Amino acid sequence: MDKLLRINMGMDGGPKASEEPLGDYAGLAGRGMTSAIVAKEVPPLCHPLGKNNKLVIAPGLLSGSHAAQSGRVSVGCKSPLTGGIKEANSGGQGAQVLARLGYAAIVLEGKPGDDTLYKIVINKDGVEITPDNSLKMMGNYDLIDTIREAYGDKVACISIGPAGEMKMAAASVAFTDVEQRPTRHAGRGGVGAVMGSKGVKVIVLDDTGMSARSPKDPEKFKAANKAFVQGLKKHPITGEGLPSFGTNILTNVINEAGALPTHNFKTGRFDGASNISGETQSEIMKARGGMVAHGCHKGCVIRCSGIYNDKDGNFVTKRPEYETVWAHGGNCGIDDMDAIAELDRLDDDYGLDTIEMGAAIGVAMDGGVAKFGDAQAAINLLKEVGKGSPLGRIIGNGAAVTGKVFGVERVPVVKGQALPAYDPRSVQGMGVTYATTTMGADHTAGYAVTANVLNVGGSVDPLNPEGQVELSRNLQIATAAIDATGMCLFIAFAILDQPETFEALVDMIGAFTGQDLTADDVTELGKTILTFERDFNSRAGFTQKDDRLPDFFKAEPLPPHNVTFDVKDEDLDRVYNW
Amino acid sequence: MAPEPENHSTLNLKMTLESDRLSLFSSLLGQGFTLKVRTGCSLRELLCEQLGVRSDYVDQRIQTIFLDGKTVDDVDTAVIRQDSTLALSAAMPGLAGATLRRGGAYAAMRRQISHQNKAGHDSVADGVVMLKLFNLVALELGPGLLKQGIWVRGKQMENFFKKVPEYFWSGCRAAEIDGTPLTMEKIGHMEWKHRQVFLKLEVKEND
Repeated sequence: MDKLLRINMGMDGGPKASEEPLGDYAGLAGRGMTSAIVAKEVPPLCHPLGKNNKLVIAPGLLSGSHAAQSGRVSVGCKSPLTGGIKEANSGGQGAQVLARLGYAAIVLEGKPGDDTLYKIVINKDGVEITPDNSLKMMGNYDLIDTIREAYGDKVACISIGPAGEMKMAAASVAFTDVEQRPTRHAGRGGVGAVMGSKGVKVIVLDDTGMSARSPKDPEKFKAANKAFVQGLKKHPITGEGLPSFGTNILTNVINEAGALPTHNFKTGRFDGASNISGETQSEIMKARGGMVAHGCHKGCVIRCSGIYNDKDGNFVTKRPEYETVWAHGGNCGIDDMDAIAELDRLDDDYGLDTIEMGAAIGVAMDGGVAKFGDAQAAINLLKEVGKGSPLGRIIGNGAAVTGKVFGVERVPVVKGQALPAYDPRSVQGMGVTYATTTMGADHTAGYAVTANVLNVGGSVDPLNPEGQVELSRNLQIATAAIDATGMCLFIAFAILDQPETFEALVDMIGAFTGQDLTADDVTELGKTILTFERDFNSRAGFTQKDDRLPDFFKAEPLPPHNVTFDVKDEDLDRVYNW
Repeated sequence: MAPEPENHSTLNLKMTLESDRLSLFSSLLGQGFTLKVRTGCSLRELLCEQLGVRSDYVDQRIQTIFLDGKTVDDVDTAVIRQDSTLALSAAMPGLAGATLRRGGAYAAMRRQISHQNKAGHDSVADGVVMLKLFNLVALELGPGLLKQGIWVRGKQMENFFKKVPEYFWSGCRAAEIDGTPLTMEKIGHMEWKHRQVFLKLEVKEND
């Protein structure tokens, strides 16, 4: 993983690929790599769909090795949804295969002069870029079937669906999973629209003949990885809760907390929550011969995903995640698990962010386009997006656009990106992160890696109300660093609770890179990434006023606790003071 | 007696079923059921002394607790009152999950919904509470409580039987209502609304 692959899609005579050494980007990976390249090379005021934007796809630091949970990939660009910098993160096979092929990043640059659609094939012998307009407007599932016929069932694919081709601001980039299904998505911020603007339909990655990346100290690495895996397996969240119920284990609990945004953020409780809970979902999956515990990439030992079948036992989609179940479920008043699974399947096929779609449909329902609870209406709206009808293009450009078009005041977005599945009035610290993260509202921007474990940013007094700002800051720093390693964020729970598991992770990274990692290094890496991102956003025109939640969170008390978001603006502005 | 709202008649439903069907009751346990208990005590006293939950299980396994929708940090000071709703869960993923954890490092991030004890003296008395069991806790504590018997609303019972997968019935060996044996078909098609149901399970190991 010692080279960059640049593909200029706008060259005279057609797209051209070139390899170059890492140079200034040496040592960076994942979000560290994507944000560094975007911040340095993309003009902040460029149009996100123009020739000057770049789409960067970077595996994590440990991707392609035998390290458990190291299969996350980062996709970065200037976002067509937010107008700021974007890193969207995905599982699937892409990170592992790309890293084994030796690339620290693929950088798509320029823009074709016409609407020709391209297919890129990368293997040990090089890069082949060919026009293939037969793939136009193909859904991700049909596309991958076509690729499988041509290249076999071992390749990994990075692709866009019709939404990306139509350059919708909610379009995702799909990554195939272990079964070569396009179920994993870098969903947020419209990264799929940028790939579409480059005229790239699919990147086929074939690592035949390549071997796993080798650690500098194989014995120490092997021992540390073993201890790390043991730690993950023995922890109740990573070893039991997530494999048994997936991330949707959260529905019942967040609902009980009164923090489940329902009917477009009108209340914090949904009467139908138990019908779409992880517990119910698992029983449905088991009864239909699906799979309850399943990894999204090779080397995953947590296995929070699964297989969701229809009543006849046929595959519909992977286990819909908590955010998807919330977005298409409670947020739209829908308590039908099969309808939610169908919506998830359509999102994956069209290549759409499930959070943005659920939020946009919720806003549309609030605007009178359909009734809350009408599952068929939600499915029909999503099909409009897939067709690219005028109504579909409105929804497909996200909650903010949908709110404007239908005159809805309650539009749950920050920096133009929809809020995920936790109401910030009930969990106010989450609201601090939603408001201030460089990404637009993002539930993964400040994750559960505590200052007490990493010593990131010093100690925090959790009893001090203003500690929420400090906590959010430290979490954002730690998360940026974890995103750079390519590790699944769910490792956070085990390393939070089990010092020996955290030690194993640090040892594993050290043994792999040959450099001892210290807490200070983690802090510095996280701060560096956030500084790149803040600087880009500042140059793109973002100011403190963009680090705010919509007014209704301050004005409308949220039942059942009837709380409003009361973190002061001046406190939000302190998050990045370090 | 157990809860019996006005205009609601009670039914005693006893079912004998195979042990691998027990997990199907998770959704029912998550919706909430009522128990007759002694109120005015601490949450730990309720769980350990009245319901027979091991203290180390309370400390280690039950990591997320809501009392009347508010997150509980201290099981020794939170007081159970008449008509309290208590929800129990294992540790949860995500930042939100970590934030809701009792006594966690992120408690400050949800202080607006943290449980605060009301001032005043709480006397111990007979009463009822609603209990909700989620995820691993439902799988682990649910069977014991179902064997002892729980009270559920008839509408819940009806929805449960409507939505339960077909293979549930093949694991049911016997059922009776108020001592009268009934077929599974009758159980599945009964009108349960406007009833309070005392549900008690007898569990047999799978053949």
